[in-house]
Amino acid sequence: MVSAMGWFKRNSGGLLFLACLLGAWAAVTALRLVDSLVLPSPWSVVRAAPAMLHERLLADIGLTLGRVLLALVFACALGIPSGLLLSYRRRAYEVLEGPLHALRSVPASALFPLFLIVAGVGEISIVALAAYPSLLVILVNAVSGAALANQRRLYQARLLNLTTLQMVFEVLFYEALPSIFDGIRTAVSYSLVLVIAVEMFIGLGERGLGRAIYLYQSTYRIPETYGAIVIAGMIGILLNSAVTRVQNHMLRWMPNVHQEQ
Amino acid sequence: MSTPALSTSSALQIEDVDFSYQARSDGIDGPLYKEFSLRIEEGSIVTIMGASGVGKSTLGRIMAGTLTPRRGIVRRSPYFTKPSDVVYVDQHPMNSVFPWQTVIENVRYPLKKLNWEIAARHERICYLLTLFRLSDLADVHPAQLSGGELQRLGLCRCLSWKPKLVILDEPFSALDGRVKAEITSALHELALKDHMTLVLITHNVSDALALGMRCIIVAKRPIRVMADLDFPVGFPRDESTADYDAMQQALINGIRDGLV
Repeated sequence: MVSAMGWFKRNSGGLLFLACLLGAWAAVTALRLVDSLVLPSPWSVVRAAPAMLHERLLADIGLTLGRVLLALVFACALGIPSGLLLSYRRRAYEVLEGPLHALRSVPASALFPLFLIVAGVGEISIVALAAYPSLLVILVNAVSGAALANQRRLYQARLLNLTTLQMVFEVLFYEALPSIFDGIRTAVSYSLVLVIAVEMFIGLGERGLGRAIYLYQSTYRIPETYGAIVIAGMIGILLNSAVTRVQNHMLRWMPNVHQEQ
Repeated sequence: MSTPALSTSSALQIEDVDFSYQARSDGIDGPLYKEFSLRIEEGSIVTIMGASGVGKSTLGRIMAGTLTPRRGIVRRSPYFTKPSDVVYVDQHPMNSVFPWQTVIENVRYPLKKLNWEIAARHERICYLLTLFRLSDLADVHPAQLSGGELQRLGLCRCLSWKPKLVILDEPFSALDGRVKAEITSALHELALKDHMTLVLITHNVSDALALGMRCIIVAKRPIRVMADLDFPVGFPRDESTADYDAMQQALINGIRDGLV
């Protein structure tokens, strides 16, 4: 109970904002300022919840979350080591820097048809499309984080005759970790946006939260549409706070992280 | 300067070194170092003293090899075969430790990477943590240490693998009197036991007197040796003795002559 109280205290600003938003929404619908087809009342959204749960909403949430996490795991597993190695081998990075930034400038959603051709209609395409920009942003952040590494500490590391892999994973990784987490944070929102967008348009029996939003909207089940959108938003917030938790744990040795606690 | 006996070989010899930083736009022209020469005997404890901004840290880093002079020769003893044999301990101790490792991990890591056997490693870690009064802080991260504790950790880590030449840049700046006395005696003990050559860089008179057997006073632009004093006073040094007084007076005279 005490920790719950603490949580409310810490998040009082955000909760107050949320309460105001809900209040405004309730007021607007109660006063019939807007057609209920455009904006249903909060209560109707709440009332729609049991039916949504009945229609395998949990499975949809699970699918979407699974795709986002898979894309992120893939992007981290490939992006972090290759970013650090590239940064350690300056020459290689100088060659690849231009193409990498060019690739990053191409909107990932524009590439979706290509992914469909290469990987076919299915799970792989969705995950690959979300993983692709996530991979690039994590990689670029790993490179720039490693480039900002403390040179005096790298001198200390070089004294110890470390192998390239030890240098990269035991020293550069930690030096770049704050910047890598910035990349992961951006990648989380990229992945969620792309997975939901692609779920909406890929159709063909693929399920997911994006698909659910699209189906509710196309059948004019507006309270359900709003409900699903709110859930998508909550997934975004939850993912973000999960990253913050992991970050605080993994960077607990950093001076500023400690002062904040 | 006393001529060294033939039997003492030099740990480090700097000959006719020229060095300057390129992007200093502070209006001070001319090289930082011009035809600078210096020789440091193996096993000696040498203090390099000069005002702030003279270029002492630059000298330390030239000695360690992290900066390469534009001209001239830096010769290190042929017995220094591994990169880890010469170490420069940074003025900011956070630059000499890995902040993501705890105190004990910071001391263990270099020994592990330099292939020390487990038993020897363990014994060395226990000895060093006790010597530098860090035993109670073994599982703490560097960011949680006080300035003095961090400075001790920096020293402890860099001396852990018994390097042969250690260049200490302002190693006592964050230590109060009592702790400084403890650390100087710890350094003295280690230097003798492990046959280390110590170079201490400082701008502080009492730091210069604390440990050095020889004190080199430098003045700036281009940097040059103003005085080269021998301090054959035993250890531990008692500040109330006549010998210490004489030493202090000699140093102060050296500084005065150097700066006027």
